[in-house]
Amino acid sequence: MGRITLDQVQKKFGDVEVIPPLDLTIEDGEFVVFVGPSGCGKSTLLRLIAGLEDVSGGEIRIDGKPATDLPPAKRGLAMVFQSYALYPHMTVRKNITFPLKMAGMSEEEKKRRVDHAAEVLNLTDYLDRRPGQLSGGQRQRVAIGRAIVREPAAFLFDEPLSNLDAALRVGMRLEISELHERLATTMIYVTHDQVEAMTMADKIVVLRKGHIEQVGSPLELYRTPRNLFVAGFIGSPTMNLIDGDEAGNHEAQTIGIRPEHISVGDGPWQGTVGVSEHLGSDTFFHVHDTGLAETITVRAPGEVEHRAGDTIRLAPQMDKLHRFGSDGLRIA
Amino acid sequence: MATQHSRAAARIMIAPSVVLLLAWMLIPLGMTLYFSFLRYNLLMPGNNPFVGFENYAYFVTDPAFQAAIVNTLLLVGGILLITVVGGIGLAVLLDQPMWGTGIVRIMVISPFFVMPTVSALVWKNMFMNPVNGLFAYIADVLGMQPFDFLTQAPLASIIGIVSWQWLPFATLILLTAMQSLDSEQLEAAEMDGASAWSRFYHIKLPHLSRAITVVILIQTIFLLSIFAEILVTTNGGPGTASTNLTYLVYAESLLRFDVGTGSAGGVIAIILANIVAIFLMRMIGKNLDA
Repeated sequence: MGRITLDQVQKKFGDVEVIPPLDLTIEDGEFVVFVGPSGCGKSTLLRLIAGLEDVSGGEIRIDGKPATDLPPAKRGLAMVFQSYALYPHMTVRKNITFPLKMAGMSEEEKKRRVDHAAEVLNLTDYLDRRPGQLSGGQRQRVAIGRAIVREPAAFLFDEPLSNLDAALRVGMRLEISELHERLATTMIYVTHDQVEAMTMADKIVVLRKGHIEQVGSPLELYRTPRNLFVAGFIGSPTMNLIDGDEAGNHEAQTIGIRPEHISVGDGPWQGTVGVSEHLGSDTFFHVHDTGLAETITVRAPGEVEHRAGDTIRLAPQMDKLHRFGSDGLRIA
Repeated sequence: MATQHSRAAARIMIAPSVVLLLAWMLIPLGMTLYFSFLRYNLLMPGNNPFVGFENYAYFVTDPAFQAAIVNTLLLVGGILLITVVGGIGLAVLLDQPMWGTGIVRIMVISPFFVMPTVSALVWKNMFMNPVNGLFAYIADVLGMQPFDFLTQAPLASIIGIVSWQWLPFATLILLTAMQSLDSEQLEAAEMDGASAWSRFYHIKLPHLSRAITVVILIQTIFLLSIFAEILVTTNGGPGTASTNLTYLVYAESLLRFDVGTGSAGGVIAIILANIVAIFLMRMIGKNLDA
């Protein structure tokens, strides 16, 4: 069980309010991702839940029981740190055993759990090595191993993949998702990478300056961003946000259209190709001189050849248009 | 070719300093060895005949020799124990965030800047003196008999004085090592349910092992040759109660003007230092491997 409720939780460092009072419920078994630009308070929020920081106000409940004043170890949560935080002088086995040893568990139980975790994470061959002798991905797995042996109510991940190279990151992303499938334990995952958020989450919490901008499933956020910030943050490449007359034509302050919802061909907009990015599967064109103030990014599926300076016509899909009012909020 | 050339050039260029340093070390060592085999007493001028190991036999059979060896080991061991344990304790305390950290740290480190003779004299005259010392005054206030430290417990007093001088050094090294500990490791241990003591024992102490080794090795080198503190406080006495090997060599060569026996003592001190070094490296040297 791992239902976590935050009720008016607030954090101040001195006079600086990092997290204004905030409510959030994380259901049992959910994979929740906190995402936002750096300095948005997502790591602080995670540390508040972990108990590594004290709240300045409000209440945290885990499975209905108040946990606000409990020390970190008593909350039944396990955390995987950005730097992995492995103990360098201990072997992998001792690292993974450490929380069990601190809990005073019997030798057989310790061995059973560690062997099981090592098997799940493919670490059996490395149990006698030290962290210094492991690669980044293996260290990451040891850190996860140390978390799962405790059989916690929820896992907390603090940007666990940011120290890995791109290829390994994709692999570990998959492994963590599979782990969640298998354990079905609540997981809270902090990242600044919206791709990680979109691919892994059941529920995404978008944060900015300590405020929750929107909570929802990845596709909800993609389809109906609640405001301009979410619209610009979710999706890659980012949504085209257009002000001015064109927006006025749609009775909005700003209109947004995703690059994948504009097709190259016959359409109302015309412009000059600037930079084009060829990914093979897709081609991105940055089009300017469209009569709009902004450079428009367009995604064309497959390999499409247009040189810089070519004039092309663009057809936005009008039903995929997002409209935002002068307060930045979405107009239904 | 270029690297071979530059290597040869480098060798030629550092050769003068290597030769100078080698001579600097080898000439005194050679002369000490040479004198140790001569009957060479400044009070009995003569032709300084070669006498083999007579000086060594004389030095080793001197009743003061055994006392000096024991005192040397007690001094080194006692001071190491106090400074390492105290240094770890102080490092843990100073690592805590608190008000006035900067000033407190400077004050903790300052004893190291006081020269040994001065600090020993301050301790002798202002603290341990049975008539005018602060400790005597405190004993007086409490209605107790003042304790004459340097007469009744000379070796322990010197251990105390020298520990006071070296504690800052140990603290400084251990504090910097402590500060290099990744705070996420401590947080991870906290999440893992480790108590404050467990975090210290399982995380901080192993992290400090290399720094502790460095402290022990460096201090041993200096502590084997404590001299100034003994000279200005007890003069090695009463009797030989606070005579260490260095002081015994001084007594032989400069108080009895027996250069031969003094040199023999010096050579024995070198051998002893090397034995201690070998034992130390065997015991704790593996901590230095990365």
